[in-house]
Amino acid sequence: MSDPTNAELVARWKDEPAPLLPLLHDFHERDGHLSEEALRAVSKGLRIPIADLFGTVTFYHHFSRDAGGLNRPRVCNGPVCSMRGTEILIASLRAAGHDPHVMPCPGRCDQPVPVIHGGTVLTGRTASTLVSGPSPLPPPAPAGVEECVFAGIRNPGRAALAGYRSDGGYEGLTRAVATMSPGEVIDVIDASGLAGRGGAGFPTGRKWRAVADAPGGPKTIVCNADEGEPGCFKDRVLMDHDPHGTIEGMALAAYATGAVRGFIYLRYEYPETFDILEGAIAEAEAAGLLGDGILGTDFAFDLMVRRGAGAYICGEETSLLNSLEGTHPFPRNRPPFPVTHGYENLPTVVNNVETLASAPPIMVHGADWYRGLGLGDHSGTKVISLSGDIARPGNYEVPIGLPLPDLLHVLAGGPLPGRTIQAVTMAGLSGGFLAGADLDVSLDEPSIRSKGSFLGAGGIMVFDDSRDMIRVTRESMEFFAEESCGKCFPCRIGTQRLVERLEGDGPRSVEAWVDEVTDLNEVMKKTSACGLGQAAPLLTESLIRYFPDRVRRHVEKG
Amino acid sequence: MKQNGSPSTNGTALTLTLDGEKVTFSSGETLYEVAERHGREIPTLCYDPRLEPFGGCRLCVVELEGARNPVASCTMEAQPGMRVRTRTAALEVQRRILMEMVASENRDTDVDPMHGYASQEMADLLDRYDARTGRFQGALSGTSRPDDDNPFIKRDYENCISCYRCVRVCAEQEGDYAISVMNRGFHTQITTEFGGLLKDSACTFCGQCIQTCPTGALGDLKALANRDVPGETETTRTICPYCGVGCSVDVMTRGEKIVGILPAMDGPANEGSLCVKGQFAFDFVHHPDRLATPFVRDDETGELRPASWDEALDFAAGKLNKVVKDHGRRAVYGIASGRAPHEAAYMMQRFIRAGFGTNHIDNCSRA
Repeated sequence: MSDPTNAELVARWKDEPAPLLPLLHDFHERDGHLSEEALRAVSKGLRIPIADLFGTVTFYHHFSRDAGGLNRPRVCNGPVCSMRGTEILIASLRAAGHDPHVMPCPGRCDQPVPVIHGGTVLTGRTASTLVSGPSPLPPPAPAGVEECVFAGIRNPGRAALAGYRSDGGYEGLTRAVATMSPGEVIDVIDASGLAGRGGAGFPTGRKWRAVADAPGGPKTIVCNADEGEPGCFKDRVLMDHDPHGTIEGMALAAYATGAVRGFIYLRYEYPETFDILEGAIAEAEAAGLLGDGILGTDFAFDLMVRRGAGAYICGEETSLLNSLEGTHPFPRNRPPFPVTHGYENLPTVVNNVETLASAPPIMVHGADWYRGLGLGDHSGTKVISLSGDIARPGNYEVPIGLPLPDLLHVLAGGPLPGRTIQAVTMAGLSGGFLAGADLDVSLDEPSIRSKGSFLGAGGIMVFDDSRDMIRVTRESMEFFAEESCGKCFPCRIGTQRLVERLEGDGPRSVEAWVDEVTDLNEVMKKTSACGLGQAAPLLTESLIRYFPDRVRRHVEKG
Repeated sequence: MKQNGSPSTNGTALTLTLDGEKVTFSSGETLYEVAERHGREIPTLCYDPRLEPFGGCRLCVVELEGARNPVASCTMEAQPGMRVRTRTAALEVQRRILMEMVASENRDTDVDPMHGYASQEMADLLDRYDARTGRFQGALSGTSRPDDDNPFIKRDYENCISCYRCVRVCAEQEGDYAISVMNRGFHTQITTEFGGLLKDSACTFCGQCIQTCPTGALGDLKALANRDVPGETETTRTICPYCGVGCSVDVMTRGEKIVGILPAMDGPANEGSLCVKGQFAFDFVHHPDRLATPFVRDDETGELRPASWDEALDFAAGKLNKVVKDHGRRAVYGIASGRAPHEAAYMMQRFIRAGFGTNHIDNCSRA
């Protein structure tokens, strides 16, 4: 069959919801890049001013404007992968006749070093040993630890509808639709203490109730699967091995709030996950679990997947909404919040994958069960993505409140032989570093925030005593500078200036260097418009706090 | 235009506390608007009152009781009972650092005021915050486009601070969508479609991007050509002479020479908008080819020759009368110039209707 024409591609998408990204992906995949001709066809077809469309396309890392760009290998240069041989792999690819370039962390920190080539993710250390394969399952849960979202994920066949149902999947939705009012569903979620697992920690029940109560519609459920935080790869494993958990969670959210449509906004870097989700949605539709007349009632909910194109900021919920709507993905000003002014300015739930996947088990086992999974006063569990210099990297679902040393040394086997842990990151990179005595925290927000950091989405990267913390900080800050959207001044200029100072530029006296960096940190934390600019300076702040001698050597020696 | 709602709900005035003072506000007003109304002079660089609030520069942040961080006053709607502080020591320090950061990304912090209406905004704030310290030095942002040889708009993006007022005014005021933002972060760049020249884009050269630019990254090339004309710049408010819309302009003169045009932001017909003619096409006034006396065409030679006003008017009257005599009154058709004022247009239609007794009168602006 010959390639579809421009007109055929436009016709396929122009009357669909959120058409811009899938239409651009179709052109990108057909042509191997986004040509001027393609963009002019999209501009005309979707009635988007051509200058706007051009600017928006340049925002996304993975849309190539150069012929053949889609098929250039892209190699991760994230903090973990760069320690594991980004440079060696690039040299090896070059020697094999490729023209590689780098990309920000694509969420494979448990399998360094990933390469995206065309539409495939490969991992390995040299060009000749690159392989593709499924996401690693989480390590077995230790005896006596009860899990929520990972409870059934290791069961064979779990990703298919039959396997999911044989584990009790869709029981929660069935019970809710058959026997509970939407308000009662919200009451259960509220009472469970479930809070946003994407990092912000907003109480899920309150969010659902706000959308249920908000006037106007149609209402929308958006699953934030734009897992862009370096060091986070938990949502990928959830969607790859248990896609129906997320889908059922979204259907529950839709039933509870009265939403009739949903989007999974999936990061570009998870192409295999896209196929898995599309397959699972088709299965669920065929089984009457999505679409019209769900489970024989008049409850209707349409679910679609939309792929991002490489932009960390699109994990910020209002950037995500702009990206879905096909406008420039700057964050929106808040208030108003998405619960009243979300997708197409209508009431919208935006929840993280892990949050949504927690809802079905809560509906089955009850709010008290979920609350009881946490330690002490804390409710529930949190999946931690652990990577870097640690014996057993991977995803761990831990009770909230678990001491960090228990995770590092007991569950994950501690540092590599002969090494000690120098520092760990929190919230992927966004929480900066913990080191020294501050490693003795428990995995809950109050404990970690008391150290000037936060748990966030639950990515933890480990750096042992062989690592240069200036280099680690510089590479991490380069990520934020690369991903800063450019809307607000403190983040746009501040991330750049911090990178320069970590590269050895800037004042030559320690006092002046620390003075400048501290001023940048403070202004970014206080005045940045969104979480990116507010969090990025935690890296430099914690660097100065824990490693003053290393900072002095860096500044004085240049 | 944004419409403010009623100043009260259920007859009770809406109030909030501004720097310890209880003030009233209208539903829909932003904290910035309330504070400005009360003389607070909150600094901004990305704000243009004609545009949707953007929240980019963060200079307008104020402290709001109960909020973890300062909030951008330009985007925050006032709510009853808010307690707001607009000028604390901490805010002033943050604003000064922000200004030092902004200054560090530009090649120049000071530009000739002939660049445009708002071109001194950044320099004024650098003075106000004593922020010319040279701290935070590093790479400059933006790539200038000296290759864009259009005669109207200087595109000097090494002085751009990415406030996007130009992009927003082009979309929101002019509706052209000729320019946009490409790339991200420190590499953001104002661009046309595919990075081309303005003449190959949807740009109509209305010049509004220039006039809202707070740094002189965009400049009025017509005015800048007169930067060396001696004398102080005076401005005179008048109406654009071109069409019937009646845009208000402030004509800049030095001595007897018109050196540039500024749009009147408070012009009732245009609110700061102009078109390419009103903004840039003023040099006809001093053009050497401009007619300085009437001319009449010599019957014998067919050539134009200078004449006095009396001779020219007698000549025209004679010819018009001859046409009416030979062909009747309906052989005369008058078209008034859109560049003429109301009074002249009125006289023209009286001249045709009463003078010749015909309704054959029109105006070029009607086309």
